[in-house]
Amino acid sequence: MGTITDSGELIQGTLEMLILKALLRGPLHGYSVAEWIQQTSQQMLKVEEGALYPALHRMELRGMLKSKWGISDNNRKAKFYELTADGRKRLDAESQRWARLSSAVAFVMQAS
Amino acid sequence: MAQNLHEFLLRVKALFQKRRLERELADELAFHQAMLHDKLLKQGVAQADVEEATRRSFGSASRWQERLRELWQFRSLENFGRDVSYGVRVLRRTPGFTAVAILTLALGVGANTTVFSMINGLLLRPLAVPESDRLAVIGISQGNPRTNYSFSEPLFRGLEHRHDVFTQVFAFDHALMQVKGEGGNENVPGQMVSGEFFSALETAPLLGRTLTPVDDRKGGNPAGYGVVISEGFWQRWFNRAPNVIGQKLTINNVAFTVVGVMPKRFIGADPLERPELFVAMAAEPALNGTRSMTAAGFHAWWLTVMGRLQPQPTLLQADAQVAAASDAVLHEAIPDSGWIADREKRHFHFVAESGSGGFTYLRLMFRKPLTAVFAMCAGILLLACMNLASLLMARGAARQRELATRLAMGATRRRLVQQLLVESLLIAVTGTAAGLAISPLVSKSLSVFLLGGGSEMHVDTSLDIRVFAFAAIASLVATLLVGLVPALQATSGNLNEHIKNGQHTTQAHERQRILPRIMMAGEVGLALMLVVGAGLLASSLVRLYRSGAGFDPRGIENIAFSMDQQPLMGDALMRFYQQLGDGFSHQTGVTSVSFARIVPFTHYVWDENLSAPGAKEHDIYQNSVGPDYFRTMRIPLFEGREFAWSDTTASGLKIILNKSAAALLFPDRSALGQTVLNKEDKATLQYQVVGVVGDAKYEELRSPAPPTAYSAMTQNSHEDSRSYNAVVHMNGKPGPIANAARALVMQIDPGIPAPVVTSMQSIIDDSLSAERTMALLSVFFALCALVVTAVGLYGTLAYATARRTSEIGIRMALGARRSQVVAMVFFQNASVALAGTALGLGAALLASRALASFLYGTSTRDPRVFAGSIAALAMIASAASLLPALKSARIDPMTAIRCE
Repeated sequence: MGTITDSGELIQGTLEMLILKALLRGPLHGYSVAEWIQQTSQQMLKVEEGALYPALHRMELRGMLKSKWGISDNNRKAKFYELTADGRKRLDAESQRWARLSSAVAFVMQAS
Repeated sequence: MAQNLHEFLLRVKALFQKRRLERELADELAFHQAMLHDKLLKQGVAQADVEEATRRSFGSASRWQERLRELWQFRSLENFGRDVSYGVRVLRRTPGFTAVAILTLALGVGANTTVFSMINGLLLRPLAVPESDRLAVIGISQGNPRTNYSFSEPLFRGLEHRHDVFTQVFAFDHALMQVKGEGGNENVPGQMVSGEFFSALETAPLLGRTLTPVDDRKGGNPAGYGVVISEGFWQRWFNRAPNVIGQKLTINNVAFTVVGVMPKRFIGADPLERPELFVAMAAEPALNGTRSMTAAGFHAWWLTVMGRLQPQPTLLQADAQVAAASDAVLHEAIPDSGWIADREKRHFHFVAESGSGGFTYLRLMFRKPLTAVFAMCAGILLLACMNLASLLMARGAARQRELATRLAMGATRRRLVQQLLVESLLIAVTGTAAGLAISPLVSKSLSVFLLGGGSEMHVDTSLDIRVFAFAAIASLVATLLVGLVPALQATSGNLNEHIKNGQHTTQAHERQRILPRIMMAGEVGLALMLVVGAGLLASSLVRLYRSGAGFDPRGIENIAFSMDQQPLMGDALMRFYQQLGDGFSHQTGVTSVSFARIVPFTHYVWDENLSAPGAKEHDIYQNSVGPDYFRTMRIPLFEGREFAWSDTTASGLKIILNKSAAALLFPDRSALGQTVLNKEDKATLQYQVVGVVGDAKYEELRSPAPPTAYSAMTQNSHEDSRSYNAVVHMNGKPGPIANAARALVMQIDPGIPAPVVTSMQSIIDDSLSAERTMALLSVFFALCALVVTAVGLYGTLAYATARRTSEIGIRMALGARRSQVVAMVFFQNASVALAGTALGLGAALLASRALASFLYGTSTRDPRVFAGSIAALAMIASAASLLPALKSARIDPMTAIRCE
C-alpha cells in the first residue's frame, strides 16, 4: 500500500493528476477527493491530508481548479473544488504523459 | 505567463482579504476533521483513539494554517514587511545611533542632490520645447582650444539659408530693452531673434502669431515692426487684456506692434534667461541706432546660432555638413579677403553640437567648478557611507549573539543579510527623504549665490524626474555601501563560537577587527583629501582678495545710467552729468563723486592701439572717466593732475596713463607732458599726458593690472557711449543713495530709466562668485568631513573598547596602570589615523592637481595648507580617540571581571 506525501517531484505531479481525475466527474470537497482516490485505487493509495490540501490550494492558485463553498451531503459547510478548462487540458496532457511513461516502464520491466 | 498572472491576481486578492482567507482555511480544516471523525467513529474506533488519530494526521492547527497561508502570500514581500517592522523596532531601540546615521546620510544625500539639481538645471535639463533632442548648437572652431559660440550677422545669414541637414537654422541674442510706459521708460529683458526662431522651437503662441521670416527681412516687415511678448509681460503690462494684439509698444523710442503672446513655459533657447519681449533681428539697427551690431557687419560677434535637425541625419552628419559648408559661407559673408586668408590658415570651420538643453555661456563658465564641487560632494557621501558602515560593523559585532541565535533557529544567512540590509535601507530612505526635503531650499540659495543676487539669470533647480532618479540611485548605493559589508561580516564565522562566547571573547575576533580599521583609515584619508582641497581653494580665494584691485572698493557705490536712448549729446550730456554729480555730492555721507564708462570687473573691455610718436604701437586698455575719478577710487596720483570739467574738446585731448602704460610707452623718460598717438582709420588722435596714476585691475581680479590709459569723459568723441556710471564714495551706509539717484534723474529728465545702484564690493564678490562658491562649499564639506570622521573614530573605538571591558579589567587587575590603559586604547586609533593620513596625503597630492586651474597664486602642493590640514585632522582624531580611552581607564577591574 502506497502513501502519497508531499515530498518528491514525481509523486507530487502524480498527485495533481489524480486530483484532476477525481474531479472529472464533478465538484468534490477535499475529503471526498482523498476518499475517492483511496477507494478507486482499492485502498492501494492513501492521500495524506498534509499533501492533499497544499496541492489543492496550489492548483487553485494556478487556475487548474476553482472553488466555491457549498453544503455537503451531511449538511455541513464545505469547500467544493471543480475543474476549469485549464484543468481539463492539463488532465489530458498528464494522462497521455502517464500512459507513455507507464508503458515505457512496463516495456523495460518485461524485457528478459 | 497566464498562469503566473492568475496566481498573482489571486494573491493580490488574498492580500486584501486576509481575514476571510484565515476563516476559510480554518473552516476547510474543521470540515475535513469532522468528516474524518465521523468515519472513524462509524468504523467503531474508540472515542479517545479517534481524537488521537485526527490530531496525528493534521499536526498543530496553526502550523497547518501557516503552511497553506504561505501558498497564498507573496513570500518575499511579506518577509520584507516583517523585516521592515523589525528594523524599525531595532532602530528605535538605539535612537542616538539612528539619529546620527540618518543625519549623516541626509547631509550626504542632500548635498549631492543639491549640487546635482544645480548641474541638472545648468547642464542637463532639456529645453521645454517639442523634440528638444533634435536641436543643435552651432559653433566656430578656429585653431583655439576653445570653440567660439558667437556669430556675426553675415556669417549667420550665410548659414541660415544653407540648411541642408537642418529644417531651420536660427539665431538670437539677449538685449535689455527700454519700454516706454506711463511712468517713464522701463528696462525689460528681451531677445532679438531671427525669422525661423519660433518655427524651430515649435511652440504655439497663446494669442496672435509668432515672428516669421517676413518680420526678419531687411528693413523689417512692411507692415511695421512686430513684437511678441511673454505671458508674464502680458499680465504685468496689459493686465491680460484679450485685445492686446495690435496694441503699440514703444521700445528704445521705436514703435512696435504686439503681434503675439507666448505661454509662460516658453523661455526661448537660453535656459537661464526669461525674456519678456521678442523682436526680429531686422529691427536691431533701429533699436540700437549708431551702436547697431548688424551695421558693424562681420566685426560684431553677438549671435548665438542653433538649428533644428531634419528627422533623418545624425548630429555627426550635421557636424560634417556645417564643417563642409564653412568655406563657402566664409567667402560669401566676409568682404575682407585678408581676414578670410587669416581664418583659413587657422582652419576656420563650423561645428555642430547637441543643443537639447539650449545654449548658455554660463555653462562654459560653471561646468568645471560644478564638476569639482560634485566630486567633493560624492566624496562626502562616500565618507558618510563608510562611516555608517564602520559604525554598523561595530554594532554588528555587538549583535552577534542575536544573529547567531537566529541562525541556530534555522534562519538562512541570506535571510539575515536581507534583514540587516533592510535596516540600512530604512536609514538610507529616511536620510534621503530628509535630504530631498531641504535640497530645493539650499539649491535656490546656492544658485542665487553663484549667479549673484541682482542677476537676470534664472537657474531652474526644481526637482524633476532626473533629480529623483539621482536621489534614488544615491540612496540605493548608500544602502549597499552601508549595509552589505557589515551584514556579510556579521553573519559570517562560526555560529557555535558566537553562542558559546557571546560578546566577551577577544581571541577569535582579530580578523574581524581588521576590516573596520581599514575602513576607518580610508575614511581618514578621504577626509584629509577634502580638507586639503578646501584649504587650497580657501587660501587661493584669500590671496585673490588680498591681491588688491589697485583701488579701494570700500564705500564705493556705482550708479549706472542708461542714456543711450536719450537725445542728449556732447556738451549738453556733460552738463547733465555735471548736474548729477553736483546733486550726489550734496547727499549726506558722500565724500566724492566721479564718473566712468567702464566699471572694473564687469567683463567689459575697451582697448586701443596707442603709441609714442615714432615708436611702435601697444595694445592698451582704455577707459573714459570723469573729474576726480582717481581721488574717488583711491587710486594714487603719482604725477600731474586729474581731469576737470574744464577739459573740453576745444582745449586739446588729454590722457592719464597708469604706471604700467607709462613704462610701456615711455620706457626711458617721464611720461608727463608727452604726446600719445592713437592712429584710427580716418584720423590720428593726439593726446597729451596730464597725469600718471597707480595700476588698477580692469577685467578681472585674477589677472594683474594691465597697462591702462584713461581719457576724459568730457572729451568723449564716441557718440555710441553716452551711458556712464556715477562712482560715489561714501562714509557710512549707502541706504538712501538709490532713492536720491532716482529722484535726481526724475527731476532732470523723466524719460531716463531708473538708475541701478551696486556697491563696488558686491561687483567684486559677483565677479568671484564661482571661486567664492567653490571655496565656501569646499570649506563646508571639509568641516562635515571632519565631524563625520570624528564621529566615526569615536564610535568605532567606543564600541571596540566596550567589547574589551573584561580584558581591560583583567589587565588592570594584573597591575596595568591607568595611563597604560589610556595609551593602549588611544594608540589603537592613532595607528589607524596615521595610516589613513599617509594614504590621504598621497591621494591628495595626486588629486589636488585637478584643482590647479581654480587656484590663484597657490601651489597645488602648498606646504602650509597640507600641514594645516594634517594638524586639523590630527587634532580631531586625537580628541575622538581620547574620550573612549579616558573612559576605559575608569573601568573598575572588579566589576569588569565579575561581568564575565
